[in-house]
Amino acid sequence: MALISTILALRKDARILKLPPYLSALCILVGVVWLLVLPLNEYSRNTYVSENALLPGQVHTYFTGSEHNIFRAYRHEVAALADKSVPDRNQRLSEILRSSNLKVATQKYSYATSGRNISNENVYAILQGPRADATEAIVLIAAWTNMDGEINHSGVALVLTLARYFKRWSLWSKDIIFLISGDSTSGPQAWVDAYHDSHSPDTIEPLSIKSGALQGAIAIDYPAGPWGHRYDKLHVVYDGVNGQLPNLDLFNTAVSVASGQMGIGCTLQRMWKHDDSYKERLQTMLRGMISQGLGHASGPHSSFIPYHVDAITLQTVGDGWHDEMSLGRTVESLFRSLNNLLEHLHQSFFFYLLLQANRFVSIGTYLPSAMLIAVNFSITSIALWVASGRAGKLPNPASTAPPSTPGEKSTSSPSKTTPMTLAEKDGALALIPTELLQTTERALFLPLAFVLATHFLGLLPLYIFNNTPSTYLSPVFNLVALLTSLLPFLTSFGLKQFSRPTAQETTLIQCFSLLLLGMFLAALATLNFSLSFLIGIATSPLTFVRRSNNKAISAVASLLLAVLNPVVVIRAATFFFGQDLVKVLVQAAEGWHVWGLWTQVVVWLVWWPAWFAGSVVASEGLFA
Amino acid sequence: MASDQHKALLFGAAAAVRLLLFTAFPSLPSLLAGRVEVSTPVTSFKRLQEGLFLYTHNVSPYDGGVYHQAPLLLPLFSLLPNPSYHPFATNLLYTMVDLLSAHALMQIADSGQAAVTRLFTSSRKELRWSSVAIAAGFLFNPFTVATCIARSTSALTNLFILTAMAKASQGALITFVLSMAMASYLAMHPVLLFPPLLILCYDVQATNMKAAPHAWRFAVTHLRRLSIALGALLYLSKLLTGSWDFLGATYGVRLLLPDLTPNVGLWWYFFTEMFDSFREFFLGVFWLHVASYMPGLTIRLRKQPLFVAATLTGIFAVFTPYPSIADAALYLSLVPLFRHLFPLMRYTFLASSSILYASFLGPVFYHLWIYAGSGNANFFYAITLVWSLGLSVIVGDSLYAALRDELDVERPELRGKEVKRI
Repeated sequence: MALISTILALRKDARILKLPPYLSALCILVGVVWLLVLPLNEYSRNTYVSENALLPGQVHTYFTGSEHNIFRAYRHEVAALADKSVPDRNQRLSEILRSSNLKVATQKYSYATSGRNISNENVYAILQGPRADATEAIVLIAAWTNMDGEINHSGVALVLTLARYFKRWSLWSKDIIFLISGDSTSGPQAWVDAYHDSHSPDTIEPLSIKSGALQGAIAIDYPAGPWGHRYDKLHVVYDGVNGQLPNLDLFNTAVSVASGQMGIGCTLQRMWKHDDSYKERLQTMLRGMISQGLGHASGPHSSFIPYHVDAITLQTVGDGWHDEMSLGRTVESLFRSLNNLLEHLHQSFFFYLLLQANRFVSIGTYLPSAMLIAVNFSITSIALWVASGRAGKLPNPASTAPPSTPGEKSTSSPSKTTPMTLAEKDGALALIPTELLQTTERALFLPLAFVLATHFLGLLPLYIFNNTPSTYLSPVFNLVALLTSLLPFLTSFGLKQFSRPTAQETTLIQCFSLLLLGMFLAALATLNFSLSFLIGIATSPLTFVRRSNNKAISAVASLLLAVLNPVVVIRAATFFFGQDLVKVLVQAAEGWHVWGLWTQVVVWLVWWPAWFAGSVVASEGLFA
Repeated sequence: MASDQHKALLFGAAAAVRLLLFTAFPSLPSLLAGRVEVSTPVTSFKRLQEGLFLYTHNVSPYDGGVYHQAPLLLPLFSLLPNPSYHPFATNLLYTMVDLLSAHALMQIADSGQAAVTRLFTSSRKELRWSSVAIAAGFLFNPFTVATCIARSTSALTNLFILTAMAKASQGALITFVLSMAMASYLAMHPVLLFPPLLILCYDVQATNMKAAPHAWRFAVTHLRRLSIALGALLYLSKLLTGSWDFLGATYGVRLLLPDLTPNVGLWWYFFTEMFDSFREFFLGVFWLHVASYMPGLTIRLRKQPLFVAATLTGIFAVFTPYPSIADAALYLSLVPLFRHLFPLMRYTFLASSSILYASFLGPVFYHLWIYAGSGNANFFYAITLVWSLGLSVIVGDSLYAALRDELDVERPELRGKEVKRI
């Protein structure tokens, strides 16, 4: 009790009110430094397989010899289909699968986004496990075209070969589904939606044959042409839609089989060269975070992860000496491991940052950095709340000069002397200005209405960007950039016409906006750490923006914030990473309509309103 | 009059917001009705529709084992067009229910019983918010709006609780007993509010009349009236469903917790973990715990009966078997009536920020548990603990403030001094 009383007494201390900006800055600093030390050996761990049933690399693989000839034959078959129409192609693929004694079905799908129509067809076959009761299944995917739009010749051929090869084994205790999707993102999405009966039946065909609950999915991306190509490494792609990740055990199993059993090096996040230095670990982690933060589909596996089906894509990269048979054996061994599973992958981590193929940071270690950045907004918001309850500046009790505006103050104190309160503590007496002890009534209506309206206003660009045809996206983007850059100035100019908001209301606008931002980011950090961290960094200057009556300071602050406008940041980021803006926007719209991507919701309903409120506060000084 | 204009404006705006949300986002009601935070097995609108379907097809609504709500709701909702096709009438009904609740809340605020009762006058009684502001706090509380959009039947329970409070604070005896009976009939636990509200009613009567009525006779008379009203409602229900089976399916479910669907309360997790042999014992203990607050608070805070009733709604929001955010909305909209206690409360920021954080993290953790599969039940339960902590801190803190307020009146020389535990 005594301790609580002491702490409660502390909040009356004027020094406490000066502290929050420094505390916020410290939180941001520690948050960033925290992230930077993660690649060190002391803060990261070597990966390990925690699910005992997986036993990666413990089985002998038999996918060799004559299977190679079959593979080469299928590769030529696939190459011959390259120029055929979709129905012809799928008819031939169905025939091949059917000739391996599998049940085959096709699924047509079409999506309309950004004024274009994505329509294609999936082919899939089900191998009924000889020891299975059709309650569980694992999926092997090869998309017809990979993420770069190349035809996945060898990948499709390998799936066809493996389908034929797996069919001959009697040891499968789960069904195996071979899926050749029309493309790398919408096709698997349509298939997995329909598998779980959550597709829209108007444009997507339901699946005519199904198996049990999906336990895992492996996608192969091997676009080598009919004459083959020897690769150097396997690139393991693991990001799911909205930054959700597969269970780390699946990734570990793949790495352990590929590098331990087959001697194929594994790489991730496009780090083609990785010699385990601090810099490269950090680079891998940051690339992973950007990819996770954007939340886009990164391969055919991505669509499976939201359905709680752990999935990865194995992509062949570089020039080396590994051939298609070693990839086939890797997949075989991986499937033997998944076949051992007694229950859904659940042992290992779902939240992790990978630094290298065999090194990771777990959520307990990295989460504090995003949380600290989110907390910095909450601290400032508390401080602003307290500050809004204090009356304006007190005249210095020691000064002899009368207050410059005697008329205004005299309403609260009839005489010009400041009313004093006698305070006694531990036998010592002190005179304290009464105003310091009182809280003034807060005018909540305008700030609340403003902050709520700003958040609802974000729905407008969200709707526009998701529903504009791709040809208009570029001008619309520029228009939105212009409007959003001007809007804070127009708003504060407009409000000034009604001589609002008052200083207290300004403080409260910022207080509520930062409170919401802090809360959203804290909640988001548990769903998508990277997105929360990136937005937290981009919005961190908002903590330090204050209304200033100095025009020069206001102008500088407004200009700085104008650069941090989400729209401007997106433009700059696409420029920096050498991406085509329209392509990114089209992908985002596709993500919204097809994959269930939520990143733009966060941008427009969390980031943009916070930025807008901060900019209005900053630009008020210009019209003071 | 200005306040009438304000009231009309407020009610118009609240109704417009609700109807706008209903029409602009047609999938929102069913989304919210499926959320465990909003709809519990005993208040869910989806379950009501199931019961309604069975009822209109002349099957006992309780046969499916899904419907656990009062039988008299069925004829009321069967009068409305099917909400799957013509939702407007239902939406309008729920909007009206919220507006009537706000009206009752304004009556409570206008009666001034929060700060000045027959036996007690707070030393800070001039510190109060206008009734319009308090009603705005209720109508625009996101929890109230979510309850309304989800069309949870706890909106009706809240209406009758608020009406009972309003009528008690006006001293309108018959309507008080009737609305008390309706609230208890719908949700059972509001019957615990009867003693404090009866005292409130007695105090108001005693103030209005010259001579105070005889206390015991007053109590017995109204207890009898409540029993008659409740008996009549139950008998009507029996006539409607043809048997007394509904008792087990409605009050039995509330008492014995057979449905362990997660909710924002503390019971479900505890009882999923429990060995069956201990179940009866702990059910008894848990119910005893909830019920024991009523006599204790009523006796200790005899002089502030409205505060006791409001605090009890807060306790219901934490400790009853099937609480939802609707119960929290009721309590949180009653708290502003006690504006005079706010200067004495010490943990308002802690409590309100834990409630705010919990209301964001709750759905997120539920998502991680149920949809993403990367979390588990402990995630959601942990956040419901935080939620309950936030609410119970407000309950505890306001109790401290009320006691401190009494102390300030009794011992003016101690005013402003720190309290010490001896």
